[in-house]
Parts: sequence; C-alpha cells; structure tokens
Amino acid sequence: MPKAEMLIMPNSEEVETLVIESVRLLAEDFDLAALQQPNSASALYGNEGVLDSMALVNLIADIEDAVSEKFGASITLANEKAMSARQSPFLNVKTLSQAVLERIGS
Amino acid sequence: MKQIVITGTRKGIGRSLAEHYLALGWGVIGCSRGEPSIEHAQYRHYSVDVSDEVAVIEMARDVKRQFGEVDVLLNNAGIASMNHCLLTPGSTVNSILQTNVVGTFLFCREFAKLMRKAEQPRIVNFTTVAHPLNLEGEAIYAASKAAVESLTRIMARELAELGITVNAVGPTPVLTDLIKGVSSEKMDALLARQAIPRYGKPEDVINAVDFFIRPESDFITGQVLYLGGVT
Ligand SMILES: NC(=O)c1ccc[n+]([C@@H]2O[C@H](COP(=O)([O-])OP(=O)(O)OC[C@H]3O[C@@H](n4cnc5c(N)ncnc54)[C@H](OP(=O)(O)O)[C@@H]3O)[C@@H](O)[C@H]2O)c1
Repeated sequence: MPKAEMLIMPNSEEVETLVIESVRLLAEDFDLAALQQPNSASALYGNEGVLDSMALVNLIADIEDAVSEKFGASITLANEKAMSARQSPFLNVKTLSQAVLERIGS
Repeated sequence: MKQIVITGTRKGIGRSLAEHYLALGWGVIGCSRGEPSIEHAQYRHYSVDVSDEVAVIEMARDVKRQFGEVDVLLNNAGIASMNHCLLTPGSTVNSILQTNVVGTFLFCREFAKLMRKAEQPRIVNFTTVAHPLNLEGEAIYAASKAAVESLTRIMARELAELGITVNAVGPTPVLTDLIKGVSSEKMDALLARQAIPRYGKPEDVINAVDFFIRPESDFITGQVLYLGGVT
C-alpha cells in the first residue's frame, strides 16, 4: 500500500499556524464573524465556542487533511476524550493545536 | 467521473459490484486483504484489512491525494462463521466483529470525511436476513450485522448534516464462498422462510444498491432493505 510522504515533525508553532489557518478558512466558508481572525485563544467548540457540530466535523477533517499534506502524517483526531466537555481538545485553538501535535508525535 | 469505494472486491458480491460500476464508467476504488482480481484502467486496489485502523486511515489519505472527493461508499467486506454458540471460539467472535462492525465503522468514519463536497454522497452498508430470521448457527454473524444496522440508523442521523445518506441492504443467501460450508438441507430450509424462495443473485444486490445511491433517493436514509421478501 502506498505510504504517505516522509514524516516531518513540526514544532508547536508550526502546528498552531496550521490550525489557525484551517479555522480561518472554515470561518470564511461558514460565515463565522467571531472566527474571522482567529488566534491562539479563540474559543471553538463548547463553552463560548461558536462552532456547531457540523462546523466542528468539517474543521477536524480539514485539519487532518492539512496535516497530511504539510507534514506527511496520517492522523485522526478521534479520541476517547474528544467529546467530553471538560478535557475536550476542541475548546480553543491552543488545546486543539496541542492535540494535533500529540497525534503527530504518537 | 463518479468515484465509488467498495470494500471486499477480490471476490463474491463485492467483485460483481465493482464490475457493475466499472461498466457504468465510474472510477472504482476497491480493497481486500488479498491481491486484486480486477484489472481495469479505472480500478484501483488497496490491499487493506478493513479492521486495521492505521491502514484504513492511510488508504483514505491516499484516496484523497489521488482522487479528491468520493461519491459513494459500499461497506461490502464481511465474513461469517456458521457454528453453534457452544462451539464458537472467542477468537472467531472477535474476528467477525472486527471485520463486520469495526471495519464498517472505520470506513464510514474515514470516507465520510472525503464525501463532504460530493453532490450526492451515499453510504450503503451490508447486513443479512440471518438477523431478522434469527437463524440458528449464526449467532455471532447475525449479531455483528445487527450492530451494522444500528450503526446505519444512527450514522444516518449524524451524517445527515453533511448531506450523506446511510442505508443498508440485507441479502438472502447468494452462492458465494461465504456460504459454501453450509449444507444444502440447511440452505433449503432457509430459503423456505423467504417470501420468494430462491437464491439471491449479485444482480439483486446491485439493484438495491443502485436504488439507494441514485440521485432521487436523497430523502431515503437510515433504512434497511431485505431481499427475498424477508421482513
Ligand atoms: N453470500 C451470501 O449469502 C450473503 C448473504 C447475506 C449477506 N451477505 C453479505 O454480503 C457481503 C459480501 O459477501 P460475499 O458473499 O460476497 O462474501 P465472500 O464471497 O466471502 O467475499 C468477501 C469479500 O470480502 C473481503 N474481505 C473479507 N474480510 C476482509 C477484511 N477483513 N478486510 C478486507 N476485505 C475483506 C474478501 O477478500 P479477502 O479475502 O482478499 O480479504 C472478499 O473479497 C458480506 O458483508 C456478507 O455478510 C452475503
């Protein structure tokens, strides 16, 4: 079976840049004023987050694609804890970037 | 060109489905554990075990790179083991659940993400009449397909927001390797329980799949369609 291109281990800033860019593109698609200029602290899902489940599913798929294209890593953000509100990686850009970095590393 | 992903295309019903959609001019992306048995310019084979999560993710990534969007997913790969429950080893239980339930789930999860921009995205899962008929000797197989039916109904709701319909077809016995170990007396008794007591043909399954995936079926989701008049 064809393997992904060589894995490039990114640092946390590179991952956060990728997440921010994915959020920005999603905000355009979904007309989300609150996320037009996302940053590390931008809330995503749950609590003050503005994403609904549909937008979240799209964001996850976009980020998985972008990680594969940019860093050559096939990750899936499915996670036992993913939907439990407290420790959700989807709370904000920072928590999501951390989760992505952990996945690439594992 | 429409792209259809079909699991379990090396032989049996999956192979017939692949040949049918190739003949219609579709791009067919198939998989099975073994080597491909179809050679066609528009056919692409992945040697993947549907229950291997990492391999399924890799396959989906590669499909995305090579083909972009996917229009249809048919979760046809499946295994069975006819045996009395008191004689069924745990390892058999695990492998049936892995292929039929986990495999179906993983393909739905990974390929739904590749269907988001398709015009008429469709998923069709595979169940069996062994479940509604509560066939003796098929406890684990039937239970695994009961799980597939449940996945179908719930995913139909969860994926509706992405415009994807999720349905299942439940064939009666079709003469493939899947049922070759079953005695003809058992088979005759089974056929007698159908409203139309004959073996199913791959074309019967293809017809049901065609119905679910046609553009006009966009208001049909979460349904299980048994063949042969089994209810
Ligand atoms: N035939 C019937 O009477 C009947 C009745 C009701 C429902 N069904 C359902 O129809 C579907 C197809 O059955 P069939 O009769 O065509 O069976 P089959 O002739 O035994 O073929 C099964 C196909 O699935 C592939 N496969 C099996 N396990 C796999 C795995 N873990 N990963 C990837 N591929 C795998 C096989 O290829 P490899 O061996 O190369 O992996 C093969 O191509 C199944 O879901 C079955 O439950 C069949």
